Amino acid sequence: MELSQYLSMMRDPAGVPFYPIVFQVLMVLTFCLHILVVNIVVGGSFLALWMRLKGTAESLRLSAALARSNTVGVSVAMVLGVAPLLFVQVIYDPFWYTANTMSAYWALGFLLAIAVAFTCAYIFYLKKDKEKGSNPVWAALSLAGLLVSAFIIHGLSVEQLYPQKWKDWIVAGDSVITHGKGLYLIEPARLLHFIVPSFAVTGVYLMLYAWFFKERKDYQPSYLRFVGELGAKLALYFTVAQVVVGFWWLLTLPHDLFFLSNPFLLLGAGAGLGLLGLLMTSQKDPSENAIKCAIGVLVTVFLMSYAREALRMVYVAKVGYSIFDYKLAVDWGSAVLFFGTFIGGLVVMAYPVLVAVNLARNGSDKNHPHGLGRLAAALPVLWFVLVAGLGIIISLKNGTLF
Amino acid sequence: MYPFWEVPGFTSALFIALIASFHILPSHLATGAFWFNVFIEQKALKENRPDFLEFIRKYTLLILIFCFVYGSITGVGIWFSATIASPRSLSSLIHNYVWGWATEWVFFVIEIVAIYVYYYTLGKIDVKAHLRIGWIYAWAAWISMIIITGILAFMLSGGKWLVTGGFFDGFFNDTYWPQLFLRTALMCGIAGMYAIIAAGRLEKPETREAIVRLASVWGAIGTLLTVLMSVWFVVKMPQAAKDLGLGAGLPYLKHLLYVAAGGFGAVFLYFLLGISVPKVPGTYSGILMIAVLFAGIFATEGFREGVRRPYIINGYMYGNQIVASDVPGKGIKAELASMKENGFLSSLYFLPDEAKKSSDAGRLAAGRMIALHQCGNCHSFEKNARLRSLPVFLDRIGMTAEEDIAVFLDALEGYAYMPPFAGTDDDKQAAAAWLASICK
Repeated sequence: MELSQYLSMMRDPAGVPFYPIVFQVLMVLTFCLHILVVNIVVGGSFLALWMRLKGTAESLRLSAALARSNTVGVSVAMVLGVAPLLFVQVIYDPFWYTANTMSAYWALGFLLAIAVAFTCAYIFYLKKDKEKGSNPVWAALSLAGLLVSAFIIHGLSVEQLYPQKWKDWIVAGDSVITHGKGLYLIEPARLLHFIVPSFAVTGVYLMLYAWFFKERKDYQPSYLRFVGELGAKLALYFTVAQVVVGFWWLLTLPHDLFFLSNPFLLLGAGAGLGLLGLLMTSQKDPSENAIKCAIGVLVTVFLMSYAREALRMVYVAKVGYSIFDYKLAVDWGSAVLFFGTFIGGLVVMAYPVLVAVNLARNGSDKNHPHGLGRLAAALPVLWFVLVAGLGIIISLKNGTLF
Repeated sequence: MYPFWEVPGFTSALFIALIASFHILPSHLATGAFWFNVFIEQKALKENRPDFLEFIRKYTLLILIFCFVYGSITGVGIWFSATIASPRSLSSLIHNYVWGWATEWVFFVIEIVAIYVYYYTLGKIDVKAHLRIGWIYAWAAWISMIIITGILAFMLSGGKWLVTGGFFDGFFNDTYWPQLFLRTALMCGIAGMYAIIAAGRLEKPETREAIVRLASVWGAIGTLLTVLMSVWFVVKMPQAAKDLGLGAGLPYLKHLLYVAAGGFGAVFLYFLLGISVPKVPGTYSGILMIAVLFAGIFATEGFREGVRRPYIINGYMYGNQIVASDVPGKGIKAELASMKENGFLSSLYFLPDEAKKSSDAGRLAAGRMIALHQCGNCHSFEKNARLRSLPVFLDRIGMTAEEDIAVFLDALEGYAYMPPFAGTDDDKQAAAAWLASICK
């Protein structure tokens, strides 16, 4: 059997239930949100440890703030990561499942590493000594867990890009390797291209922190200046490092991909250089420039995420695979269910987010958005009434209710 | 077929079973806990009981850590373990229910935003607004159950989907409603038990006992309804599943029901104790009862998975991931006939060159691949393995010779819970030869 035949055969016979481009856009968009939070957690874990070890009053305060933020961040990153995990299985199923089964124990190890990171992050946050701060060992273990999980998920992702090598990896002599213990490929430049931005993104996160809390009386200006300046420096230095790593990665790419002239790459790289310029001019007043820099990060990360997806398309095209020729079996009903829920869900989410932002920024609950609150509380009930009604009608029609 | 992941002595299927059963605890706690939480918060407001708020803080932190650390990880863990153990079946579910899962994901995001804001704003914002955020969480969490139940129930009773391939035809299937009500009742039971554990950490005895009593009432009603809904669920199961689970099919399934009944019975009695003598239940006994509850859940899940045999998606895909029947509405063709005609090896890309040769060694290499893919999801191949070992089983029935095993493979169709052998006579002989070789 030829490789292209295998890839075609392993596609699900039901086909995709909506246009592949929609799944692709959703995959990149949700991945972008996921990786931004992952970046903040990885960078935040490193900083929580560093600031704890530094031991000054300001650094300990920042370490404690990041310890709390990291616990929330890991939860949010996990939940946001579910969506791209789902969509990649829809359009790249033969690649995803092959790589994971070949490296099965590593896929399980990924979960273990996350569990360690999560548990230690919580211990670091909750078990704190008022004067000395938390035990830095927990922060170090949490960071180690995150880095191990990044290493594993990187390996699983890279394996998917080289289907030509799959047989070499697991078909040996007269047998096929079925133990699932091998992790067959690591690309250091690509891995670093995911790790290094963590510190740059966290730098901008600190700039936002300095801006966000400046109205609060319990946040001294000297502390916020310390945080803002630290963030601006981190963001600048690591964006420079990211440019260097980016070039290194590009140089290591197979030449026959001809990726250097890819428009998605050019857009992403252009945005990255634009961000670099913005960060250079923001060093004097990090707090004032925080929003501009945050927008710059968002745009850059989204475009770079699309560039990486474009790179994957180029890789898989070499073996005759395209998501656009997947068998199409459009299911409008379930698509409407999702998009309707998604829009309504944004409204529901907006309420608790606004409440939290309002409270954190002003230190009080003035101007509570009660109108939005009533709507947000009503929407899930409305969803239930509509879907339960639909379910009862369909069940009666199909004779499955009683 | 995808590459095969072999777990010596244990089987990959048990990996999923373990993770999935554990996931029931945090996932059902996540869906059920806030109905109890908002009930208590409302009571605190109406009866002016600020001491109840301390319970809410402790309970919410427990939910945050247990559900949004270990619940999230095991939730993703089910996906990863299914990915590596049964990739084709997961792919099938995803290609049919991706929008269902994506819809559930929206509610996950709402849940996580709502619970953190709820926890960190307790006592800091308008009380009614705080309660409202609790309600948002409670509804979002229960809706996530409403969605996932459709996909889980589909795996047992595909209903009209098997003809039309329609999303909602498969979703609102025969066992959907009983499973939804069963899980809803179970979530109340689990929430009650965890509430007792959290209440055990409260300092004031009167607050602790008041919460324990309320949680016990909540849990007792939940446990009782779980049992009643289980009866409805069993009544609505497909006939073949009933024959297997309640008839003479697989006796161990009935034993699982006894374990489940014993587990839920003990939990119910514990709740009754909590109602009558609320100072007795506490954190440690609650944790012990969680273990008992887990045994009941593990047995129930084992039963639900067991009665689906020989399918992983009932009526559509066998446990060994071979498509069993046509689905006209989706243009899907069954694979069994073509495998019997063209041979099973034609479905394998990862095949050693040796297996293509007609030598004895070649036949053994081919036989290993066939046996791995067709038996290995559920059976282990080690002679000293205690769990689902094929050599042990073949030895027990006295069929360890190649010819006998070939006859046995031929007879698989006669077993209601086994998928038929998929391949040519040569494939069968090769598989029999390899299985005989590992029995020696």
